[in-house]
Amino acid sequence: MLVVDRHGRLVRANDAARPILPGAASGVRLHEQVPAWLADAHQQIVETAPPSTVTRALRGNIGDRFFEAHPTVGADGDVMWWLVDDTDRRLAETALSDVRRRSEVLSAVSSTLLSTLNVPRCMEVAAAMAAEHLAEAAVLVAPPQGRRCPLTFARQGAPVVQTTRQVDVAGVPGLAEALQGFPPVPARWINPADIPDWVLPEGFAGPIGSVIVAPLPGHGVPAGALILLRSSTEQAFTEGEEVFARLFAARAGAALSAARLYTEQATITATLMQDLLPPALHRVHGVEYAGSYRASRDHERVGGDFYDVHPGTGPSQETLVVLGDVAGKGLDAAVMTGKIRNTLHALLPLAENHEHVLNLLNGALLTSRHARFATLVLASVRRRADRVRLRLTSAGHMPPLIVRNDGAVEEAATKGTLVGALPAVAARTVETELAPGETCLLYTDGITEARGGPLVDELFGEERLKRALAECVRMPAEAVVERVQMIAAQWLSGGRHDDMAVVAISAPKAGAPTVADGQGGGRPGRSRSSE
Amino acid sequence: MSSLPPTEFSLTVRCEATTLTVLIGGELDHETSDELLSEVSEQLSAGHPPFRDVHLDFGKMTFIDSSGLTALLMIHRRTSAIGAGLHLDNRPPTLERMLQLTNVLDHLTTPPTRTGDQRAEEDDGAGVT
Repeated sequence: MLVVDRHGRLVRANDAARPILPGAASGVRLHEQVPAWLADAHQQIVETAPPSTVTRALRGNIGDRFFEAHPTVGADGDVMWWLVDDTDRRLAETALSDVRRRSEVLSAVSSTLLSTLNVPRCMEVAAAMAAEHLAEAAVLVAPPQGRRCPLTFARQGAPVVQTTRQVDVAGVPGLAEALQGFPPVPARWINPADIPDWVLPEGFAGPIGSVIVAPLPGHGVPAGALILLRSSTEQAFTEGEEVFARLFAARAGAALSAARLYTEQATITATLMQDLLPPALHRVHGVEYAGSYRASRDHERVGGDFYDVHPGTGPSQETLVVLGDVAGKGLDAAVMTGKIRNTLHALLPLAENHEHVLNLLNGALLTSRHARFATLVLASVRRRADRVRLRLTSAGHMPPLIVRNDGAVEEAATKGTLVGALPAVAARTVETELAPGETCLLYTDGITEARGGPLVDELFGEERLKRALAECVRMPAEAVVERVQMIAAQWLSGGRHDDMAVVAISAPKAGAPTVADGQGGGRPGRSRSSE
Repeated sequence: MSSLPPTEFSLTVRCEATTLTVLIGGELDHETSDELLSEVSEQLSAGHPPFRDVHLDFGKMTFIDSSGLTALLMIHRRTSAIGAGLHLDNRPPTLERMLQLTNVLDHLTTPPTRTGDQRAEEDDGAGVT
C-alpha cells in the first residue's frame, strides 16, 4: 500500500510495499520510484477524480512482477494505492493459453500429417509446421539412404526446400543419436557455434541463438530427426518449448513412419505385380495359345491367379502350360504365386511325369506355419502331324474343358490333390488329342464363380461356361478366350469379382499357316531362350 | 429386387466330454476363416481331458472359399496333433464339391492313425514316393 499526495510525493509505504519499492521513503517523488504507467495514472487521477472516489484498477509490471493497482482518492486529495501482486495468476493464465495453443498445434499437426501418405509431402508439411509454430527455421533430416540424407528445410515465410545431400551427421551435436532414436540432448547443452553451415536454411538470418535436436520416433525404427533453430536476436528455447518440440516430433514421427510403411508396401506390391503380369501368348511349335487375365478390382490386392507357357526346346518337344490359383489374397498369396512359377520353371526337365512334378512342387511349398495351398492344371502339349497331343493333369483344380468340332464340350477326366498343404499329393493324368480346329480351355474359378446375371447374385457356373464354349466351335484360341472373358464380364455386369484367368490351347485349322511360329516377335511366354 | 443380405458369420461351440462340436453359420471366407481356426485351436488347447472327436457342422454355412478350406486343413493338422478325429457334418453341396475337386476329403476325415504328442504331418516333407 502506498499513499501519495496530490503533488506526487510519497506520504507512506507499508511494510509489504517496501520490498517491492526499496527506495520508497516518505517525501520521495513517485515517478522516481515506480514505472511510468503508475506515475502517469496517479497524475491523471489527481487532475480528474473528485475526492473520496474509487476509480478503475490498473495493471502493469513493477520490476519483474505483475500488479493490479487499485487507487482510492482520500478526502484530502491524497491517493491511496493498493497494489495487488497478480504475477502467479498471470503466469498461470499465460501457461494455460500456451498449453491450449500447443494442443491446437499438435492436433493440427496430426490431422494434417496423417492425411497424406506421401513421404516427401509429409516431411514438407512437418518442417513447415515446425518453422511456423516452434522456431524460426526447421530442418528435417530423414534417415540416410546409403550415404545421402534427404533434407527438408523450412523457414518462416519462405517456401520449403527439399534436397538429398551427403552431410556430416556427426557434425551436429545430438543428431547422430537422434537418427538412431536415442532421447534428445537438452538444448542448453548444444553450443550454437558448433552447428555446421549445411543445417542453415537459405536466407536464415544468423547467427544461431539456440538449437533443439529432436528425434522423430517411428514404429520401432526412427523416422528421422528434427532440428529447430532460432537466431541470436530471438529468445532462447525454454524448457517448456523443448518439451513441446518433443511432443511435436512424436506426432510428426508417427505420421512419417506410417507414410514410409505405406510407400514401402505399395512399392513391393507394384514390384510383385510387375513380375506377376501374365505373358503374352501366341503360336508355339504349330500350336495356338491365347491367354487372358482379368485382375480382381480390389486394387490393393495382388491376384492369386497365374499362367505360364514354357515352350518346348523344339517342335518335337512338349510345351508345358501351367494355370493356377493360390488360395487367399494379398502379399502372402503373391509370394506363393511367385514361388510356384519359379519352382515349376526349374522342374521343367521332369515334366514328362506330372504327378512327380506336383509332388516335388508340393514339397517345396509345404510349411508348418500355414496351410495355404494352390490348385493348378498342367498341360503338356505337342503337335503331331495336324493334330495336337495333350497330357492334362489337375491338381485340385477345375478340369480343363475341350471343345470338339462336333459341338461337344468335354471335361478332361483328370483329378488330383491340391498342392502346398498335404504331406503328399496324388494326381491322375489324362491324354487326349485335339483335331484341327479343336480347343482345350484352362480356367480359374473366377470365371465360374462370377456372381451376377439376371438374379444379381447367381454364380456363372460350369454349365453356362460349357454352353458358351459350345458356341465357340472351330474358333481360333484367341477368339475363344475373348468370348469367355466377354460372357463372364457381361454376367458380372459391373459387379465385384475375383481374379479371372483363361488359357486356350488350339490345334490350328487345316490350311492355316503352320510355319510361322511367331518365335521372332513378342515375348514368347516364359520361354527358355538360352537353349 | 435385391439380393438378401448375407447371413452374419457365427460360431457356436459345444463341448461334451471328449467331443467338441462347432456350428458354423454364414460365409466362411478370407475375412472369417481365421476366426474359426483360432476358436478351434483355443478349444483344443483348453480341452481337459483332450478331445477325441472334433465335429464341424456346416448345416448353416452359406458360402466357403479357398481361405475357408485353408482353415479346415489347418484345423486337421491341429486335431491330428492331439490324435483327435475330424468330422465334417452336414456338408452343403458347394463344400462337398470343393472337397472332391481338391481331393482332400479323405485326408481330412480319415481317423488319425498316430496318437498323442507326435507332430502331425509336416515332417513327411516332400512326400515323394
